[in-house]
Amino acid sequence: MPKHETPLLDELEKGPWPSFVTDLKRQAETKPECWDILGQLELSFKDRITHWKHGGIVGVFGYGGGIVGRYSDSPKEFPGVAHFHTVRLNQPSSKFYGTKKLREICDLWEKYGSGMTNMHGSTGDLVLLGTTTPNLEPLFYDLTHDLNMDLGGSGSNLRTPACCLGKARCEWSCIDTQALCHHLTMHYQDEIHRPAFPYKFKFKMSGCPNDCVAAIARSDFAVIGTWRDDIRMDQDAVKGYINGDFPANGGSHAGRDWGKFNIKKEVLDLCPTNCMWMEGDELKIDNSECTRCMHCINVMPRALRPGADQGATICVGAKAPILDGAQFATMTIPFLKIDPETEFEAVIEVIEKIWDWWMEVGKNRERVGETIMRVGLPTFLKVMEVDIIPQHVREPRSNPYVFWQDEEVPGGFERDVIEFRKKHAQ
Amino acid sequence: MALSSDEIKAAMLAKAEKAPKPQLYVKDFYACDPDTKPRAIKNIANDLVKEGKLMFWSSGSTTMYALPSRIKNEETRDEAEENK
Ligand code: HEM
Ligand code: SF4
Ligand code: SF4
Repeated sequence: MPKHETPLLDELEKGPWPSFVTDLKRQAETKPECWDILGQLELSFKDRITHWKHGGIVGVFGYGGGIVGRYSDSPKEFPGVAHFHTVRLNQPSSKFYGTKKLREICDLWEKYGSGMTNMHGSTGDLVLLGTTTPNLEPLFYDLTHDLNMDLGGSGSNLRTPACCLGKARCEWSCIDTQALCHHLTMHYQDEIHRPAFPYKFKFKMSGCPNDCVAAIARSDFAVIGTWRDDIRMDQDAVKGYINGDFPANGGSHAGRDWGKFNIKKEVLDLCPTNCMWMEGDELKIDNSECTRCMHCINVMPRALRPGADQGATICVGAKAPILDGAQFATMTIPFLKIDPETEFEAVIEVIEKIWDWWMEVGKNRERVGETIMRVGLPTFLKVMEVDIIPQHVREPRSNPYVFWQDEEVPGGFERDVIEFRKKHAQ
Repeated sequence: MALSSDEIKAAMLAKAEKAPKPQLYVKDFYACDPDTKPRAIKNIANDLVKEGKLMFWSSGSTTMYALPSRIKNEETRDEAEENK
């Protein structure tokens, strides 16, 4: 029996697609607080304003993140959601978990929360929606002791690192994304669980430039697998594609007949740097111009593979619109060896250099990408001790001034004024 | 000369006591000792939370610090309103 009339929400049950309204009504049969979610949301639809209050002091002892306090601004009307805190659980790398673990999480959440989940949140966490303050400590105890899991990051913390499937399932992966993700998660436990920065900071790692976790769009620090030698080529397989022996794109365009495979139209002409051509039936690539976009490899995976000298490109500073508009991360370090043998020492060195600078120079609530935009990329690259290469330049210069640094001018800027005056009229 | 961590703690608590707004950003504490690195300041602020002398306030996206005596959580505030 519905507790609130929800004519506006009921509209969302009419389409052919799954409806969260239907799901909530079903969940409300065992968890009556779900009626109050529906009731409060219906009111928000009417009032055109949220009825959630923002933030608060909630958490478990010793942690400054992982739980986001949410309170209703109309607790009398909707007592079921007077407290309705969100819990973030650190997902396993690549989100690999079995159904047994999933059942355990669901059972835990039936016990201590609303039973509603969000798999997965944008950061990657397993998100558990809706519990009360007194339930937090017992939930945390069971989570860490029985499930051997931990909370993720929230607030001005390092957020839960996330990675693509990597070498576990993907032949294109140039780095062991899972090893790196797990190592950084363990290495930076303090930064994940306690606030550390002017604002949030996110790590994401993808094994190749296909960037399946959208690291370049969503993370302050993106590690994207790449190679610095040549694309590995099998000319016989190239001919096989041209002859139609293998379906292009691994057969993913099979739903419709697109006609005979045309290597010029589908590969050469779409190469963003125009660095591919045919000499007779031999495919040629000018690898020095290849920007590692993965397009040709995606189309002809039997014929082309990433090179063998593998590592990662580090891009810094993506963010969603908060102060300014959304922005992608900027390519900062073109190539870095990603070495598990050294416990990813080189990656950690880069991370700490960024943090030391950003914590000092970044303003409150300013993402590192905004700090870079404010001070300019040349300044940031200098801080990072990176040699500037043409690929760092986004567009031709529009500023006619050249600023020389003291050390770039023979003799520097210091001069002997008295000597100068002797030679120049006053 | 950098201050000792006890001196920095005392300066932070004094700042949290006197600041016009109860919630402070971690950056607001940097000035307590300009010779101490931001990461060390952040660790000291988090130690004060462990000792129960400061508290975290979080919107979900930003975290701030406050003296427990200067900030009320939602539950006690609701009770206080009901008892008025
Ligand atoms: C609040 C007061 C002022 C503001 C906001 C202001 C702003 C500016 C700006 C924006 C420029 C152009 C800079 C550029 O394009 O590189 C400029 C140039 C200049 N201003 Fe001012 N100005 C102010 C006061 C003054 C005063 C009081 C004087 C002289 C007594 C002065 C003398 C000049 C000169 C000579 C230039 C040309 C500099 C050059 O091209 O090398 N300004 N000013
Ligand atoms: S980002 Fe690349 S390596 Fe990772 S899963 Fe996607 S295609 Fe594979
Ligand atoms: S990876 Fe992209 S840029 Fe490089 S050769 Fe292939 S299509 Fe061209």
